[in-house]
Amino acid sequence: MNRSQHILGSGLVFAVGIWVTWVSYTQQPSEAFLFPRLIASVFLVLAGWTFGKAVMGLSKVGSGVSRTMFLNMVPGLAVMLVYVFWAAKALGFYTATAIGFFILLSLYDPAPHSEGKTWIRRALITAVFVAVMYGLFAKLLSVYTPREILF
Amino acid sequence: MKKLIAGAAMALMGLAGAAMAEDYPERPIMMMVSYGAGGATDFQARIVTMTAGNEDALGMPIAIINKPGAGGRVGWNWFATQADADGYTLAAYNVPHFIAQSIKGGVQYSAESFEPIANWGADPAVFVVAADSPFNSMADVVAHAKENPGKLTFSGAGLFVGHHIAALQIEKAAGVKMAYIPTKGGGAAAMKAVIAGEVMGGINNLSDAFRAQEAGNVKILGVADLQRSDFLPDVPTMQEQGLDVDNSSVNFRGVMVPKDTPQEVIEKLAATVPQMFANDRVAKKMEAGGSPMHIMTRDEVKEMWAAREQTLKELLAGL
Amino acid sequence: MEFIYYFGDVFSPLSFLLLLCGTIGGLILGATPGLSPTMAVALLIPFTFHLEAVQGLILLGAAYTSTVAGGAVSAILLKIPGAPANIATTLDGHKMAKQGQGAKALQLSFLASAAGGIFGVLLLIFLTPLLAEWALAFGPSHLFWLAILGVTVIGSLDSASVVKGLLSGCMGLWLATIGFDDIMGAQRFIFHPSLGGGINIIAALIGLFAIPQVLTMFAKGRRTTGAEVIEVQKHSVLDATRELFRRPRALGIGTITGSIIGLIPGVGGQIAGLVAYDQTKKFSSEKEKFGKGHSEGVIAAEAANNAMVGPSLVPLLTLSIPGSPTAAVLLGGLLIHGIFPGSDLFDNHPDVAWTFINSMLVGQVLMCLFGLYVAGLAARVAQVPQSVMAAIVLALSVFGAYSVQSSMGDVYVMACLGIGMYFLERFGFSAAPLVLGLILGPIAEANFIQGGMIADATVGKASYFLTGGLNIILIAVVVASIAYSAWMELRSRRYTTKEEAQA
Repeated sequence: MNRSQHILGSGLVFAVGIWVTWVSYTQQPSEAFLFPRLIASVFLVLAGWTFGKAVMGLSKVGSGVSRTMFLNMVPGLAVMLVYVFWAAKALGFYTATAIGFFILLSLYDPAPHSEGKTWIRRALITAVFVAVMYGLFAKLLSVYTPREILF
Repeated sequence: MKKLIAGAAMALMGLAGAAMAEDYPERPIMMMVSYGAGGATDFQARIVTMTAGNEDALGMPIAIINKPGAGGRVGWNWFATQADADGYTLAAYNVPHFIAQSIKGGVQYSAESFEPIANWGADPAVFVVAADSPFNSMADVVAHAKENPGKLTFSGAGLFVGHHIAALQIEKAAGVKMAYIPTKGGGAAAMKAVIAGEVMGGINNLSDAFRAQEAGNVKILGVADLQRSDFLPDVPTMQEQGLDVDNSSVNFRGVMVPKDTPQEVIEKLAATVPQMFANDRVAKKMEAGGSPMHIMTRDEVKEMWAAREQTLKELLAGL
Repeated sequence: MEFIYYFGDVFSPLSFLLLLCGTIGGLILGATPGLSPTMAVALLIPFTFHLEAVQGLILLGAAYTSTVAGGAVSAILLKIPGAPANIATTLDGHKMAKQGQGAKALQLSFLASAAGGIFGVLLLIFLTPLLAEWALAFGPSHLFWLAILGVTVIGSLDSASVVKGLLSGCMGLWLATIGFDDIMGAQRFIFHPSLGGGINIIAALIGLFAIPQVLTMFAKGRRTTGAEVIEVQKHSVLDATRELFRRPRALGIGTITGSIIGLIPGVGGQIAGLVAYDQTKKFSSEKEKFGKGHSEGVIAAEAANNAMVGPSLVPLLTLSIPGSPTAAVLLGGLLIHGIFPGSDLFDNHPDVAWTFINSMLVGQVLMCLFGLYVAGLAARVAQVPQSVMAAIVLALSVFGAYSVQSSMGDVYVMACLGIGMYFLERFGFSAAPLVLGLILGPIAEANFIQGGMIADATVGKASYFLTGGLNIILIAVVVASIAYSAWMELRSRRYTTKEEAQA
């Protein structure tokens, strides 16, 4: 389990290394790629070394991702991806943050879902947090974030 | 019937457009500066837009955002390809920089990608040397370059920016070969190289060079413009020193919008923005910061862009 | 001694109020993951339009000092450095916090910051002309070697495996080349339009440190027990002060390295903390404790990053050349009031110059006091449940990455790097060497190319890069650093094999 994960992880890094090396040696103008070539070569050697060690089962450092951890993480990761790559721009930062925050809180808050009090508390925390963010970024620092729905 | 509907739709759209121009601007406006915070363009952009919120100007504040990198290419690329053409995203332009870069290629914009609004400043390039340099005029520089072809090092803010254009023009006018060293980090880094003696001379912005001369760090040998500058009445122009260098490298700074911005919005901006630049408070702050002002309207800027594109094409043809 | 004469101005009611606001506001902004000192200062510029020159500068100066120190709060409690300057603080600081010593780590970091910071400002007051010459002595070849010196640190930094540390560093160096090449203007590795501007260092920093923390919290799942982020034991300020004085070596090395490196235009601020951390580790008698929650690590890193504040303003104040992005923003703040840094500043506006410098001195003390108060509150911050903390950090990361240059692209880059980093960390790679690569890559490359161009026109590359006193000193330090690391690696390897054999 752990060994195959190490092979997968370092294999991906190795693949990136190959791609980087290939790109830096084929693109023009070559003066601009002098440094990338140097870096890519070292990158490739080190990535190859790491990959080789992983294949032989000699990787000692790093414990990989266990099944429970992964299953725990998946819902949060999914919300994060939707929030960052779609909602933030499509719904506006503050609306998306309010929704995303509330969902994440509900997913990971250990308080029982069946009680009405829990939900009120979660909504309240979300409201306060979004208000603070609005005050800090929109009012104090006057950063203009994308706004589609509401503020 | 179809015609009628189409006509009604057209009228409605026209109305909507007019209404939009009437209400414009109804929220704060962003202005993108393609150089870092604290640079000359950024600094001046912040000053000239500081009165935007006044009732007699736009009535809404303009917020500056910086997208620095690669001599301005990063910011202008973003502006040409990703910015919303709704009148709420403006950008500062630097001519000849973006025109020269578009002629050179490798970027996604050209003079046609943008609509100028107004010009606020003109900052000529000057030739500077360290205070303890043996050079005292452009003639000394040219003489040294003739004796040591390709060995006279001089710094500037990058390739295909105003400084580089001035460098090319000087080399061409004097018929010499010198070593132009582009620095990363803009005019400030180029100036540091001159003061520290890493290079023998440098091209820099008049405003920054004026400050450095006041501080006693550099000597200014020539101005690459048609007339002498009010800030430096004692420094002769390149032409006075026998070098045929015109004002092609003068760094014109102004405001522009992306190509597809509604015509009504462009007209409204073109009417208000030059007045906003002419504000007394703006003039005083610009003067205090050592930044020369030069206000031009939309039509004048259009002409200037076209003229610059012509001369730059000729100058860069050989490269 | 002219500066003493202007001390009164710092304590005029309005000035002092601004100083307080700047300090407290700066601490809060600095402690917020995703807001860097440069950004905090740039965002404050509009406020200074309405103030007089002196007052505007007091506000900016106070904010600069305290954002740098404030970054330690999130670095220690959440393992999210507020700015590149605080990366080294996470290495031991967060480990201490995990062991329940969060309050102690924070107290030490603020005390060390104040000690380093005051030393730095005093250097600025007394040695400015001398320092200005020193700052100018660093040309392209020297900056290149300095960057290489930084690269030698990569392998041994916060990584259990040297090869993986180096590989992380390489990834950082490669990521730094993405975007338009700064000198030639060629496009490199732009496989998505969001990368057109290259990878912004602040956005990357947020992603690489904050997102893995968020995912780690997610991975623990919906749990009732141990829901707090970390436990924080109370710790008295007196004990912290005593601890600080028991570690004069860390404090001294941190302060001196920070002051020297901070002075160099264009490099300083970002790597001062890391270099100081590495040097302290090499000279320490307890080097095996570093990276496991050792107080020397926190002291050295924080002393260095605040010691750099004063000297980093030397090139600006004397030569009118901003040596760092933050200094460039301060230059704008001066110019807007018609004051030119340089001799003009000290000759014609001594009140502005000295009041500004004095306010930074007083600001360091105020920063320390408020910081110690904040350290007392750390226990409360740490009691925020995991579920809430994960959501807060995620939202702050998105807002922070966006506000660096109002760009969605930066947010996407932040998230991608962060998610990638989480998985890499699970396989023994680490974020600190990667970020160091990201910072050093452009410095090394630009100076090598620029130096090469000067060399080709004059004396040739070999003699330009390899001769001259400063070059030789720097090369010697680089060689010594590599040799030392290699020797330590071999020694520890022999040690561990023996241990394994015994086990």
